Amino acid sequence: MSSSSTDATLVDVVMPQMGVSVAEGTVAEWAKEPGDWVDADETICVISTDKIDTDLPAPASGRLTEIEIVAGETVPVGTVLARIDTGGKPGEAHAAEDVGPPEPRSEAAAATKASVQPEEKASGVRPQASGNGQGAKRFSPVVMRMAAEHDIDLSAIEGTGRGGRVTKKDVVAYLDEGGEAAAPLHIESPYKPDEREPEPAPGPAGDTLSRMRRSIGQHMKRSLETAATCTTWTEADMFRIEAARERLSLTALPLVARCAIAALREHPQLNAWLEGERYTRHDAVHLGIAVSLGDEGLIVPVIHDAHELSAEGLARRIKDLARRARAGELTPDEVRGGTFTITNPGQYGSIMATPVINQPQVAILDLEAVVKRPVVIDDAIAIRPMTIFGLSWDHRALDGVLAAQFLASLRRHVESWDGT
Amino acid sequence: MPAMTYLQAITDGLRSEMRADERVFCMGEDIGVFGGAFKVTDGFIDEFGPDRVMDTPLAESGIVGTAVGAAVVGMRPVCEMQFSDFISCGFDQLVNVAGKMHYRQGLAVPITVRLPTGGGFSGGPFHSQNPEAWFMHSPGIKIVAPATAEDAKGLLISAIRDPNPVLFCEHKFLYRRVKGEVEEGANPTPMRARIARDGDTLVVITYGAMVHTALEATAELEGVRVLDLRSLVPLDEEAILESVRACSKVVIVDEANELCAAGAQVAALVAERGFEDLDGPVVRVATPNVPIPFSPPLEQAVLPSVDRVKEACVELLEY
Repeated sequence: MSSSSTDATLVDVVMPQMGVSVAEGTVAEWAKEPGDWVDADETICVISTDKIDTDLPAPASGRLTEIEIVAGETVPVGTVLARIDTGGKPGEAHAAEDVGPPEPRSEAAAATKASVQPEEKASGVRPQASGNGQGAKRFSPVVMRMAAEHDIDLSAIEGTGRGGRVTKKDVVAYLDEGGEAAAPLHIESPYKPDEREPEPAPGPAGDTLSRMRRSIGQHMKRSLETAATCTTWTEADMFRIEAARERLSLTALPLVARCAIAALREHPQLNAWLEGERYTRHDAVHLGIAVSLGDEGLIVPVIHDAHELSAEGLARRIKDLARRARAGELTPDEVRGGTFTITNPGQYGSIMATPVINQPQVAILDLEAVVKRPVVIDDAIAIRPMTIFGLSWDHRALDGVLAAQFLASLRRHVESWDGT
Repeated sequence: MPAMTYLQAITDGLRSEMRADERVFCMGEDIGVFGGAFKVTDGFIDEFGPDRVMDTPLAESGIVGTAVGAAVVGMRPVCEMQFSDFISCGFDQLVNVAGKMHYRQGLAVPITVRLPTGGGFSGGPFHSQNPEAWFMHSPGIKIVAPATAEDAKGLLISAIRDPNPVLFCEHKFLYRRVKGEVEEGANPTPMRARIARDGDTLVVITYGAMVHTALEATAELEGVRVLDLRSLVPLDEEAILESVRACSKVVIVDEANELCAAGAQVAALVAERGFEDLDGPVVRVATPNVPIPFSPPLEQAVLPSVDRVKEACVELLEY
């Protein structure tokens, strides 16, 4: 926590460094008002950088005396946002109303210290208990089952059982808090069709779009205005991918991602950025994966150096990023630097789409539903699990023949999948 | 509804069945003129006469064997063992004759054997046992064990009306200690478990006198369910598994000796069919495999106490 004490009892709340490449942040909203009591690590305000909202925990327990930066302002990292008076205690009158002599004040400080102590003790014990690998890494049958049913990463839950064991109660509480969407893993395209007509509201007043909704809208609109977007489709036989994913208990996404990476290595012109007239080709594949956040919108976390990962490795990273995206735990660095994006809205049965390129990238791959179809193989009709890959590409950066070559390469990797 | 002791409820149930059905009659040692060792049949001989309230010799094998014969020809005998411990003398008639009669010869044996069970009153090794598991292992015999006055009456009526041999385990310790409102008339209690107190953090599964121990032990713990099995054969597996689903932590209490007790079967069931609902080890509290001591402090030391049950629950809740 970047905070420094300017006074014996006043602690600064500063704009934190949210990621190595982030120099500033916006105060999205204050969770506390001047005069409110805050406990250490309690959320004091929400910081927004790009599309990421982060809860800022209070650096100390005390009373919020002043707010320096109002909601909506963007300030550099390190700027003092507010101050907390650690000399007060819960329930005590507002500092401004009660300027007491120093004696009760130090008593109050002692009381605060005492009230903080058990917390410190508890938080000091917990990591030790959960980190020693005894019991903490073992889960009871019901916890394992619930985790599987709700697709929960159990390492995200703090256990309250003996030795930090995650109990059923902890899982239930986690689910109740909405810590994890109970819905199945859901990866969705970053493109959005035209905004639906707003539902006729019961009253005359409509709702203002959320910040995330507005941000997505701006990005999509800018992309369509900037790029010369074309879309090319190809059909592929998913027989081997389907067999492999069943064997590995994975979705098709990480396997197709692996094939797409292989195809990108053969056609690196698509693994690139076009910023104005500056075209940058990347050696490493930093793969963006579009993750739906339900009604809130969507976000595209990036798997850095995805070319170094196996399908299983990609699967694990996708699952982790999706979970943390939904939990609002992504850091700004995790949504930056993508060189190519995959979107996968196929679980609802749609078969084709025209995705919008994630700027400043030059292409985006769309993976839709896998459908059994009659196809002709060696002049015989066979039933095969088929899918249609859609590639939206920027005609400013490349031509259609390259898009077609990339898709042919992707198809070859998909149809000859041998488990690597 | 009149309030009755557990013992009065048994008397009431037996009397109402004898009044309602003249095929029902009682046999046992000193049950007639003396009214029974515990006075369950006190006054019965005056109302029903010596033909329906028969004093027998001290010969349990003879009592059960005679009852089997009477049942086969259409009677509904109710045998009393003075103490359940003595059923060992009638073991062969019960296990090999009564239990297998229907399988071998297609004949129903609707006998009820009343077994005053359990300890806690310094009765020593021959007068304090809980022998129900001996018979759980033997096919063809049903076993019920009421914990309340209402169930004592209702389960006795169910036992008498059942076409199978039924062992009615009446807990001696509860005879005059448990009292409750009991409906008038004949209301048979189904041979299924009952939730004695609902909860969802942990379930104590038990029966008989231990239901009261479990209720007392968990009175101050949050959300602990107590499941009173009431019937051991048939065992209400669905109720047990439902409780495991709801609570995920299980403590099983037996007053019987631990090895192969009824609770062992419950534990096996939970492990086999409730595994994916478990959030902790299945914990058992039971009497160790020793004879029940005569010495009061020693007896209290071996029987599952309120403190032991509570400790087990607290331990498991914290797990």
